Amino acid sequence: MSTAFYNKFERHSNGVGLKGHSTHYCAGCGHGIVHKYLSEAISELGIQDDTVMVSPVGCSVFAYYYFDTGNTQAAHGRAPAVAIGHKLANPKAMVISYQGDGDLASIGLAETIAVAQLGSPLTVIFINNAIYGMTGGQMAPTTLMGQTTSTSPDGRKQINGQPIKMAEQIAQLDGPIYVERVALFSPAERNKARKAIKKALQLQKEGRGYAFVEVLAECPTHLKITPDKSEKWVKENMVPIFPLGVKKDVDVEPWWDIKEPIFDSEKILGLIGGTTEKTERFCKEFPSHIHPADISLKLAGSGGDGAQTAAILVTTAGINEGFDGTHIPAYGPESRGGTSYADVHIAKTEVLNPASPLPHILIAYNAPSLAKFGSSVTNNGFILFDNSVAKEFEPADSSIKVIGVPFAEIAADLGKMVVKNIVSLGALAAATNIFPRETFLATIKQALKDKASLMPLNEQAFDRGYKAAKDCMQTKGY
Amino acid sequence: MAQKAERPKPYLVPEYCKGCGRCVGVCTKGCITFSEEINHQTGIAPVKLDLEKCNSCGLCIDACPEPFSLLAVESGETVDSKNPAKLFLDKKNDAIKPIAIANQEIPMPKTEPMVIKGNYAAAIGAMIAGCRHMYGYPITPSTEGAELMAKFLPKMNGWYLQAVSEVATINHMYGTAGAGLPTMTFTSSPGFSLMVEGISYMVGAELPSVIVNVMRGGPGLGNIAPEQSDIKFACRGLGHGNTHAICLTPSTPQEVLDLTIEAFELAFKYRNPVIILLDGYLGQMTGKVNLPTHLNKPGIPEWAVYGDRAHRGNLINSIDLAEPDLERRNEKICAKYATMKAHARADNFMTDDAEILLVACNTPARISKGAVQNLREAGVKAGLFRPITVWPFPVEQLKTLLPKTKQIVVVEASAGQLEDELRLELNKAGVEKLPEIRHIRRMGGNLPQQADVVAYVKSIAK
Ligand code: SF4
Repeated sequence: MSTAFYNKFERHSNGVGLKGHSTHYCAGCGHGIVHKYLSEAISELGIQDDTVMVSPVGCSVFAYYYFDTGNTQAAHGRAPAVAIGHKLANPKAMVISYQGDGDLASIGLAETIAVAQLGSPLTVIFINNAIYGMTGGQMAPTTLMGQTTSTSPDGRKQINGQPIKMAEQIAQLDGPIYVERVALFSPAERNKARKAIKKALQLQKEGRGYAFVEVLAECPTHLKITPDKSEKWVKENMVPIFPLGVKKDVDVEPWWDIKEPIFDSEKILGLIGGTTEKTERFCKEFPSHIHPADISLKLAGSGGDGAQTAAILVTTAGINEGFDGTHIPAYGPESRGGTSYADVHIAKTEVLNPASPLPHILIAYNAPSLAKFGSSVTNNGFILFDNSVAKEFEPADSSIKVIGVPFAEIAADLGKMVVKNIVSLGALAAATNIFPRETFLATIKQALKDKASLMPLNEQAFDRGYKAAKDCMQTKGY
Repeated sequence: MAQKAERPKPYLVPEYCKGCGRCVGVCTKGCITFSEEINHQTGIAPVKLDLEKCNSCGLCIDACPEPFSLLAVESGETVDSKNPAKLFLDKKNDAIKPIAIANQEIPMPKTEPMVIKGNYAAAIGAMIAGCRHMYGYPITPSTEGAELMAKFLPKMNGWYLQAVSEVATINHMYGTAGAGLPTMTFTSSPGFSLMVEGISYMVGAELPSVIVNVMRGGPGLGNIAPEQSDIKFACRGLGHGNTHAICLTPSTPQEVLDLTIEAFELAFKYRNPVIILLDGYLGQMTGKVNLPTHLNKPGIPEWAVYGDRAHRGNLINSIDLAEPDLERRNEKICAKYATMKAHARADNFMTDDAEILLVACNTPARISKGAVQNLREAGVKAGLFRPITVWPFPVEQLKTLLPKTKQIVVVEASAGQLEDELRLELNKAGVEKLPEIRHIRRMGGNLPQQADVVAYVKSIAK
């Protein structure tokens, strides 16, 4: 008989004395038998090198003492979550989640169900002995009705709910391909258990899917009966509640064929849009006529005004010109459908504070935004607003230039409302001279990417905004 | 085919028999019986074998829960129970000494600066650092990071697996980290709370991972606006037991990218989680980001449980039942914490002659930077000390500024969590003469405002 056990259990009390060759399990415990079948199957399938055994919390916490495979010990209930982490890290690994009833059917229910439903090839071995062994005989989720335990001293009652039937729960999910409940109380049942365990591994090896084997096991210690009586107890008391047999077995073609991850700079740059192409610069110097080092803008409107896109374009334009730039959108639920505003900074070397509570430039796309932020603009600043929707604004200081441009009207005239914000950028260029026309157009072109056919429309929108702003400034004598 | 006569017979090694008797009932020939005879080594009475009638059915061996107690012995074989290496005669497949497969640096061409938001910068940093396994549960305001990974990772044959919860998330990470690969998550404060059990396990089992926590307003459900709500939690409360992790506090998208890449290096260097604390404002902030010159192709560390021949002998765990063993594990972890102190880092802004020292990290640090500029213009000698790591706290760097400092003003979006770290670390560093420590605090998702900082500092400046 071949096995995947260590020759000596070095991790069991450092392998000293008899512990080097015996398990930590109580006399007659079902765990040991299941370990043997698992060890045999691992060896017979030739998967010992590839196997990662995930030990749970519970009596089998020390399963890693015995299996001469890769071993991981997981937090209580988290073994399947850990197991899938191993499986995705190395799709060729053979990962086994070995768990007891507290681990799998109580504290780890969410992970148990979720990982089963994923359906990735994985082998889950579930030891159901109707009791908490490690903590000393408390009620388990699978404890039978009326069964006395240290936390159901008068027997499990209605208030504790009924024992949970995991194999049936798992079988009704779409993810698993094989679910069986087996037992250990007779040679015939043990034979079935051994076969089920091997099959559950075989299905993983072949890349077919998730398999779950529930084993009704004996815990003589906490049943407080002899091992042979506990076999009888499982047969007579557990089996009627937890019927044995195959609960699900579907034919699935092997599908688990996972490719090696890619580590390639071209690939990453392609995905994230990194480019080696130099962007052309058109600015001779930093627009210090607005502020010597750090220009702050606010763009405000409502949801569909395109304020955020315009803000990103201004930021990108600044960065393309070799300056620093930041954009921060309005934050919170009010950005959903309500007002949408953006703070933008363009700095000669470094943006210190990206917020724009007192902007040098305000672009307002509607009347409420103009009213809300109009008076926060600093002296010598600029207010650009859509005079097709908002009335003229009286600035707090006469040094502030107020320029009305019919953003919406121009966009409507061009037949595409979405270019309203591009109109506003034309107006921004005209009114403030922040960057040359070419800077904006190059940035817009860059942003349009494969939609280059829209460029003429955008250019038109920009120029119309530019001209309207110039006209307004002339009228106002700026 | 094996013939009946060739089938193995049981051989009992009495010192490994616990006397459970599960073999007794199955033998139809009555070869096995309970015995009263106590084995002097175990203090247990093993079963007794009389194989005269044995037909080699092997049912007793199948029923025995012990690996070394009832052995299957082919006819003609002898068993040397004193030499357990020979107990399993056909076992020739020993694990080899684990080997490390080194990381590879792959050059990247020089690119133009990118314009990206903080959350994206963290995701891109992780991809450049070689992370192809991201697990997460969607939570505002961290979701964009996960969304970007969900979009790009599959295109690089990587994984974005949406977990059933943050509890599952951190344990998926535990598995992938246990296999020796870089893994990360994006989360926000309430999600971070759910992860700390797993973080403690990772610290105990010495596993690397990177957790990006885009902090939001708390306690409870709080709100989704920016707060530095988890500084105390990340510095002092990473789950049960003796837990710490390097906590990085970037303040610009560029720094988010750079520190995310570095976080993976630190995580693997120390085999410990690394926490990146962002605030929601920084997560949403778009800025200029230069990409590095290399990307990392991760190898497999020597200690990993990868699921291959080279790493079969390894174990990932954090349990030590024997107190001396657990104390040793803790001593090792403490020694790592001590060396992590070398990574304490801060950035100084106009501190050379500063008499009023603002202390802030994340977005409040940028607000404070703006305020320092205004204060200098108004003739106030203010400067900014910006911790880039809040754990380990850059106390040595801070100490060098103290002689000139008359007052410290901690500017933060929390109820004093950064200030608590500062006070604790100054105290532990034995600094007796402290400058006056004042603060500007906002909570509930409000950030301190530049104008308020300026006004306050002016009011306390002489
Ligand atoms: S307590 Fe029960 S389950 Fe645990 S080892 Fe003992 S018999 Fe087995």
